[in-house]
Amino acid sequence: MTARTPGLVVAVWLGAAAPVRSIRWLDGTLRAAAKLTGATAVAAGPQTWLDLAADRAARFGLASVSVPTDLALDYLGWAQVMAAVARRLDATTILVDEASRPERLAEVAALAELTDAAQITHVVALAGDAATLHASRAAGPTLQTVRIQGPAVIGLRIAGPPMDEYSTPTPSAVMGRFDLASLGLDPAVLGHRALPPRANPQVRRTVERVAEHLAAYAAPRKPGKAGQAGPAGKLARSAKDAKDAKDAKDS
Amino acid sequence: MAAVLVHIDLDGARPHASSLQALAAGRAVASSWGATLYAAVIVHDPGKRAGDTALPGVAAARLPGEARAIEAVRAALARGGADKIVVAKTEAPIAALWCAVGSAWQGVLDHLRPRLVVFGADAPSAVELGPRTGARIGARLFLRARAVAGDEVELRDRDGSYVRANDGGAAVVLIGAGPRLEGHGDDDIDVMVLTPPGGADPRVELGAAAAAEIVHTTGAIIAIGDTAAGDPEIVKAAERLAKVLGADIVGSAAAARAGAVAPGRVVERGAALAPELCIAVGGPAIDLAGAASLVRVGSGGGKGGDGALAGAIAPNLLELVRLLEGK
Repeated sequence: MTARTPGLVVAVWLGAAAPVRSIRWLDGTLRAAAKLTGATAVAAGPQTWLDLAADRAARFGLASVSVPTDLALDYLGWAQVMAAVARRLDATTILVDEASRPERLAEVAALAELTDAAQITHVVALAGDAATLHASRAAGPTLQTVRIQGPAVIGLRIAGPPMDEYSTPTPSAVMGRFDLASLGLDPAVLGHRALPPRANPQVRRTVERVAEHLAAYAAPRKPGKAGQAGPAGKLARSAKDAKDAKDAKDS
Repeated sequence: MAAVLVHIDLDGARPHASSLQALAAGRAVASSWGATLYAAVIVHDPGKRAGDTALPGVAAARLPGEARAIEAVRAALARGGADKIVVAKTEAPIAALWCAVGSAWQGVLDHLRPRLVVFGADAPSAVELGPRTGARIGARLFLRARAVAGDEVELRDRDGSYVRANDGGAAVVLIGAGPRLEGHGDDDIDVMVLTPPGGADPRVELGAAAAAEIVHTTGAIIAIGDTAAGDPEIVKAAERLAKVLGADIVGSAAAARAGAVAPGRVVERGAALAPELCIAVGGPAIDLAGAASLVRVGSGGGKGGDGALAGAIAPNLLELVRLLEGK
């Protein structure tokens, strides 16, 4: 077993499902964690994903532990699972692969809240010395440098080397396992953070459906003058009118 | 009466445009649900703490800072539809990080105990404060949602999940950019000033800042392939779409030589990007697997995309522009 970076006990949260499109960001996170010696990779969820997580962690010389479960939880539910694992590992620093899946970003904040740790998202470079971490963080058009001491949860978006294909992992014999009960978690209670079942999203193939999707990303427009309402203004006005009419009727 | 709380980021001395759109969505929801709409802004106040007021933690309605700038913010929020304005003062320098403004924001949450908290998805603080707020109040979290009218206004995100008036529990919603706002609301509204305890998180020390490289962008990009970059019609259409989305156009050195990509927007072959949204036009040789949302134009699809438009590229891009400008 490799020696730990003094003052830091590092766990790496890889999430509860395989990356959406590429394992490159998963590898980047593991490689960054491997520079902080003694880090442990943690994954939860279905067995096929756990096998992949263990395989990638082993390639970077990291120990790994898993929490096998069929639960489908929201950001706060998975954060409860990882926070419990972090307590078992006595981890002071939790690195999170933020780019492999969109929902992972919210888990950074939830983990920081549950572990009462400092929170840093969008980190694109990370280094450690003694008990201090040095991070570079993307913040819009700027890159901030940040020094972190003490417990922290850090969302990483660091890419590994390009990779078109990778071999199918075999079940790992060295991956540690925690079940929910051993972590002090009740699946019935965790179930309150369950996500409703959803059909697999279909790729939008018409220009109308794609525009509908992109509408939520459109650049903010400058406020218009009264009487030049677009749909949002009309929506607000009609809702207010309805409320006023209801209030008048009630009175 | 339930509280709907909108976090307001400042862009210089004015409310950030994305925060104002969140405020418009909050106005629609609050009116429909019969809730009070609070707009909260966090300001830096290095001076004396306001612990000497009648109500613990609540000072008289006098804002710190330059009077005309404060009045401009107050007027903008009033026009945006806020019922009440909350100003949280902090001794920490303002930065779009939980470690800088988290304790001040927590003071607002504790004071109002809102049922719904709304952020502008493109506002600087949203990514750090939004999910943390959700975790702190045990709320459901919705990313890139917008207000949808029905019998009652609801907020619906890109996956079809929604927040409705009769839902149980709290919700935190990041509002995706939407249409133009209307001047709205009463200009004579209450301003409440809070001075929550605590300042910046001492565990995090902010250092220097420098301009980020394009590979580190977290916003929206249009990645253009070399062949598409050689077609002036496609380039012009891509530029129009980029303007609507507030996106950067990126591509290879060859695309830059063709004039489709600005010099600072060149991405090396195989480089990995992780923007929130990427529109891949004509098969760019860039690794876009890290994009939270990926739409391909000019190719039939691929792994994990949200949209794919086959066929002629320029007409599809222009039709997208037309539809988005009409929304």
